[in-house]
Parts: sequence; C-alpha cells; structure tokens
Amino acid sequence: MAHIWNKKKSKSAVQKNPFHLKFNFREKTIVLLLFIAASLAIFFSAAILYTLIDGAIPFFQEVNIIDFLTGLEWIPTESVQLFGVLPLVINTLIIAGVALLIGAPLGVAAAIYLSEFASPRVRSIVKPVIELLAGIPSIVFAFFALMFISPFFVDNFGAGYFNAISAIIVIAIMIMPIVISISDDAMKAVPNHLRETSLAVGATKWETATKIVMPAASSGIMASVLLGLARGIGETMVVLMVSGGRVGYDLLQPMLPMSGYIGRVATGDMPPGLSHSAGFAVGIVLFVMAYMVSALGARIVVRIKTSTSVKSKKKEKKKNIFTRTILKISGVILFVFLVIGSSIKSFFGKIRKLIRKDKLLTLKERYWRQRIGIGVIASSIIIAFVFLVVLLWFVFSQGISGINLTFLTSYPSRFPEKAGIFPVIMGSVYLMLITIVFAAPIGIGAAIYLNEFAKDNGYTRFLRRIIQNLAGVPSIVFGLLGYLFFAHVLGFGMSLLSAGLVLTIMVLPIIVVATEEALKSVPDSFREAARGVGSTRWQTVRHHVLPNALPGISTGLILSLSRAIGETAPILFLVSFFAKTTPSGIMDGFTALPSQIFYWSQHAKPEFHVLAASTIIVLLIILLGMNAIAIIIRQRAQAKRDW
Amino acid sequence: MNKKNKTDKKEEYFRRIKGDLNIKNVNVYYGDNHAIKDVSLKIKEKHVTAFIGPSGCGKTTLLRCLNRMNDEISGCRTTGSIDWGDIDILEKDVDPVPLRRKVGMVFQKPNPFPKSIFDNIAYAPRIHGIRDKKNLDEIVNKSLTDAALIDEVGDRLGDSAMGLSGGQQQRLCIARTLAIQPEVILMDEPCSALDPIATAKIEDLINDLKKNYTVVIVTHNMQQAARVSDYTGFFYLGELIEFGKTKQIFENPKEELTEKYMTGRFG
Repeated sequence: MAHIWNKKKSKSAVQKNPFHLKFNFREKTIVLLLFIAASLAIFFSAAILYTLIDGAIPFFQEVNIIDFLTGLEWIPTESVQLFGVLPLVINTLIIAGVALLIGAPLGVAAAIYLSEFASPRVRSIVKPVIELLAGIPSIVFAFFALMFISPFFVDNFGAGYFNAISAIIVIAIMIMPIVISISDDAMKAVPNHLRETSLAVGATKWETATKIVMPAASSGIMASVLLGLARGIGETMVVLMVSGGRVGYDLLQPMLPMSGYIGRVATGDMPPGLSHSAGFAVGIVLFVMAYMVSALGARIVVRIKTSTSVKSKKKEKKKNIFTRTILKISGVILFVFLVIGSSIKSFFGKIRKLIRKDKLLTLKERYWRQRIGIGVIASSIIIAFVFLVVLLWFVFSQGISGINLTFLTSYPSRFPEKAGIFPVIMGSVYLMLITIVFAAPIGIGAAIYLNEFAKDNGYTRFLRRIIQNLAGVPSIVFGLLGYLFFAHVLGFGMSLLSAGLVLTIMVLPIIVVATEEALKSVPDSFREAARGVGSTRWQTVRHHVLPNALPGISTGLILSLSRAIGETAPILFLVSFFAKTTPSGIMDGFTALPSQIFYWSQHAKPEFHVLAASTIIVLLIILLGMNAIAIIIRQRAQAKRDW
Repeated sequence: MNKKNKTDKKEEYFRRIKGDLNIKNVNVYYGDNHAIKDVSLKIKEKHVTAFIGPSGCGKTTLLRCLNRMNDEISGCRTTGSIDWGDIDILEKDVDPVPLRRKVGMVFQKPNPFPKSIFDNIAYAPRIHGIRDKKNLDEIVNKSLTDAALIDEVGDRLGDSAMGLSGGQQQRLCIARTLAIQPEVILMDEPCSALDPIATAKIEDLINDLKKNYTVVIVTHNMQQAARVSDYTGFFYLGELIEFGKTKQIFENPKEELTEKYMTGRFG
C-alpha cells in the first residue's frame, strides 16, 4: 500500500512547504452556493415587503393614511368609498380572540393531560390524532364549517347563512394542535425533580401538575397561545368561505376580518381600482399584526430552548434595531393586556385574601378534585377526537358517492354529473413538482449552510431570524406576493411557475427546520472522525453527514410538500378557475385541488357541493399517502440505524 | 365499608402512625436489574440511621422504598414488606399520597420550587387546604426555625428561593419537609452538593432533628455517617452486608467486606 502514498509524495515534493494551504476551488464554490441558498431568504422577505408597499402605493395616493388607520367605516364598493381599516381589525380580533378563548384552554388542557397523565399507550394514540388534525388543510375545515356547522346555527339560533360563530368554532379547533404541541414540549421540559419533590411532600399528581408543572412551564404555554393567536389572525379560507363579506359585530351574523377582505380581492369579488389596491394596504396591517404576535411567540420558544446556555444569553443583548423595535411594540401591547389582567386578578385576590379561611381538605376531597380535574382536561382531547371523527365522517358520507372513474378522469364541467377533476389533480401534481424543484435545493442548502458552515455571527443570526419570521407570514400575504411580485413584476403571469415559487417560499422555513434537525441528529463524532483523516468540510458533509441525515431530510421534505399541496390562500390569486385543460408547461394557467374545492363549495347548485366533498376525499387520500410514505421512510431508517 | 370511607380511614390512621420501621425481605427490580437483594433491617424510631456503601449499591433505592417514590419509576417492581405500626408500606392498597406526608424526603441536589421562600414551604400546607394567612405564617416560621434558617432568610421570605446559596436551599428543602409534620425524614445524600461549612450546618441540624423525628440518611461520606448516625447499614451490590450500631460498625465490624470498605481498600 505504501507505494500509493509515496507516489503522491514525490509529486508534491517540489513544493517547499508540504502543508501549503491551497485554494480549493470546488470547496469554495459549493460553500458559496450554499451561502446563496441561505441568503435567498433575505431576498424573499424583501419581496414580501416590496409587494405590500408597492401594491399599497396607489391606494395611499388616494386615501389619507391617517383616515385609513383611524377610520371607522369600511365601505369599499359603494359610490362613496370609505376605507377605515379599524372595523376589519376589530373583526379580526373578535374572530381570532374568541377562537383563542375556546381553543387555547382546550389545547393547554389537552397538553397537561398528555404530558402529565396519559400513559405511553394513550399518548401513542392521541399524538397521531393531534398531528392528523394539524395536517388537515384549512379548506377542509372551511368546507365542514360551511356545510355542517353553519346550518346547525342557522336552524337552531337563527344565524345568517354566513356567520362568524361557525368560523370561530373551526378556527378554535385549528388552533388546538399548535397550542398542544408547544405546551406539551414546554411541560415535558420541566425537570423531573420538581415533580418528584412535590410528590414527596404528599401532593397528588393533579396538585403537582397544576401547582408546580404548569407555573414552571408558563412561558412556553404563553408562547403556544401567542402562536395559536397568530394562526387565528392569519387564517383566510375559513373566514372567506364562512363568515361572509360584511363588517359586523354579532357572532351569529357575518363578519369581515382583514384576511377575509384580501381573500375577496383575490377571488375577484372586488372591482378593480381602489378597493382592489386596498387589499395590499389591509395586507400591511394584517402582516404587521400577525408578525408581531408570532415573532414574540417564536422568540419565547427560542429563548426557552437556549436558556440553559449562558453563551446565548449574552448574544441576546445584541439585537438589531428592527427586531428590537418590533419586540418593544409587541411587548408594550402585551404588557397592557397583562397589567389589565393582573390588576383584575389581584383585585379579586385581595378580596379573597380578606375572607380566606382554612378549609382543611381530606384526602377524599383532594382525590375528587384530581378525578374531576383529569376528567375535565381529558374531555378536551375527546372534543378534538369527536370533532375529527365527525369531520371525516361528514366529508366521506357527502363525497364518497361522487367518486368514480369518470370523476377522476374527466374535466370540470358546468354539468355536475359530467364533471371530473383530472386536470385539477394534474395541476396539483405539477405544482408539487415545481415546488420541490425549487424548495428542495434552496431549503436543504440553506439548512446545510446554517448548520455546518455558518460562523456564529450577526449575519447568521439575522438569517435565522428571517427564516423563522417567514413562518409567521399569513398565508394570504403569500397570495399577494404571488400576484404582484411573481405574476406581474417578474412577469410570470397566472402560471404554475408563479404558484410554485410562492409555495416554495411558504414551505422554506419548514424544510429548513426539518433538515437542520436531521443534520443535528448526526453525532459530531462522525464529523470529527472524517475531519481527522483529512476530509475537507464539504467532503465531511457530503460523505458522512448527508447520507446519515437523508431519511430525516426526505421525511421533512415530504411533510412540507403535503402542507403545500393543501394550501389554498397563497394560490388563490393565481388559479384560473375556468381552466379546463391539463397544463402543458410551467407558464400555463392551472387549477389545483384545494382551489377546486373552494370553487365548487361556493357554487349555487348543491350538486357541486358533493363534488367538492369528493375532491376533499381525493386530497385527503393524497395527503395521507404522502404522510404514510414519510412515516415508512422514518421507520425504515430508524430500524437500519446502528448509531 | 365502601372504598371511599376506607381511604379516609387510612388517612386517619396515618395521622397517628408511629414506631419503628421494620424492613423485611425487600427485593427491588428495575426491569431485569435486581437492585436490592433480600434486605431486612429495623429503623429505630427517633434515631438516625445511615445507609453507606459504594455507588450503585442500592442504598438510595431502598430509601425510596420507604416513601414509595419508586412507584414513579416505570418498570420498577418491589417485593417484601416494610411494616410500620400495623401497616405494610409496600402493600398495594397503601396510598403513597398520605404516606408521603408522614415520610418526608430531602433530595441529593437542593431542589426548591421556582417560587418564593414562603411559597416553597407553604406549598404542602396549602395543598391540604390551609389558607389562612396567620396559620401559614406560623407554619412557615416554625419550619424555618426548626431548619435553622430563620436568621438568614426571615426578613426576605418573598424572595425567590433560587437566589439562596446551595446550603440555604438544602435547609429550605428540609424546612419544606418539616412543614408537613412528618414522622420520618429521608435524606438522600443531602450534603453531596454542598461545601464543608454548609455540610456542618446540616449535620448539626440532623442532630437536632432526631429529638422529634426518625431520620434515615444515605451518604457517601463515612465520616458523616459516623458523626450523625446511631445505626449504620453497609450495602454492597444490592445486599445488606452488615447492620448495627454505628460505633460497632466503625470500630469493630464483623464482616471482612465492611472492614475493607471502612479502611478504604475498595469502593
């Protein structure tokens, strides 16, 4: 073997220094490409800001910004137009707020049950149910709200056909999985010795959970509630389809939140001109609100995750001006809420203290409290479970009759009995392919750069913040981005390409997070071993890290694609509802499964509602199939893994 | 008699329970691992009993049997009996919740709750329904006095317990245990995370405590066992090698293994 090495030695012997540092062109190029992939996030964020500002400029040339922000009337379509955004903001806050009032307690309760009381067996059943709930596209919730919940309120409470309460109920359920998963993580992170200590002084499990674990996890629970609120503020499809097109203040009557108005602009309900460009102005307000809430929530989550290391605490002092301002504003708003809340609490607390007397509890009473408490929190899981079962049952019972070969192979038609979804399915498939072509290299490249190459400096932290913040952008704002930036500024038109790029940006944060997690799961000893025998950094990543992280990466990729394929709001501006042919190129117009569901459920003829339900079944089966593939990949990899 | 009345009767019984703890033929398994092998010994009331031995010899596991903390570890199985009065602690229908009120525990690492000093001590009384501020004050003061901590923290009860020094935190944990008025106090290497001065304070405290409480202490430190305990059990690989008066164990061990350990030839 020695001669192989010797040969090489003789070649380089000419050099004076055998360890002379050479410029490695290949290595540098690859790192540069990865760096660019990561930096694209800045470009995407800038594109979003450009879209909102550029789109709103024509509007603000006509309407005074002060009038817009403080006006109390929103009348976009009459001859005398009035654009005061406050009614929309208030409607958004009512819908998201009430949904949060229902969804957050349910979610927190479910999380306590999962984290503190559920046996591993129960957990292994409930967790997938919650994930399933989180994976159902909002268009399906919207359909269910419109066809099942709304008629209930119409019949029993005299609600209007479009009403806010139905939207609120499904949004509450949509908020639940977010609250559950983050709160559950937070409570799982509470050190076990606190539980043990509490039990050791004779506390019951219920007392330990409510008096020790919950307060210790309170910041995580708070973050979960904030992220749930952001979800409620940004939700578009449900409010667009269910809560009607008129500003109102009665839960049983229509309400028009900001996302609903932009949705109406997207579907062409608003005439071109001022009421059209008003959509962008409203988009700015919506963006800022959702961004502040979700950024604050995400910051808390990050802080909890890194709070153990002293190093990261030091870094936090060096925030950049922009985020500092945003955080300050949201902090002030939160502070006001907290002050109001705590002053009410302390007022009642003082009264209670005055009349507080010992009431010695027997063990029996304490056990009854435990029993009732567990019963109450377990029922929140039952509510989610029942909701899911009813939703699936309803959709299947409505749509199963419509599924046959003709339906799957024909083209959409004005005649329900002849209508099919072949080009719609193809539209979704193409959309997925385009998305994966763009999103996979950018997302995986960005994650590799951030995890393997990036130095821990201000720029890297900025990139991370930017990517994290992309996740908090409401989906309808992506719709505006596709419409103005990709379709018009870049001139891609209402095409598959525009839609694919929008979805790419939308799923980017998910792919980056999943990929980074997969990369982190590869032990550092592998990297050290590879570097130790003289590999370059890229060789280490290419030969040792990536192969081992591949199952995790592909799982994340598939799951994020399944997220993309179910999204309606981001492509709402771009679909051609009347496209009846299969797209033949990436610049062609298209329609996709979720948008077809939207179109058909809005149709006056009830026969088309059946078709919408049938389309939902097809969509859900595709999603389920993708998730199944992801799970199989994960399990195979875990079985094969020997480290 | 229905089951619920039984629960109350049991609590009532625990309220008055006293006497020696008689450990008989106790075996503990963690899955396949046989952690405690057929251990029998008697823990005398109002005395200090020390468990010593090298790491992993099962002394902490046995300690955790006494307040059924092992119930909280999944896959842990216990056989044998620990008789206290006429109750067998290990029996399935003994409820660990009232039991733990009578058998308090202090852990290896000081682990105050992330609350104020006052709330840490008032936690257990509050659970039992004591809410009158006057009564809570009395309990907190008494517990802190008994734990020899009142002079150091008496004027800042509202401060976070996490701001105390390690030794103060550990005495706070003892005060928290005293607040539930136990009969037995279990201490799992209470000084292993503390400096010598803080250790000396805790040892003095243990000497005071044995006037009113039965104390069982697990320790790595043989000098500590010699200083504070009346009885000592030496454990090795899950077995009780020798048990007797501390003086006898240290000065005149019967077993060769004990002597070897005492003289530092292994362990």
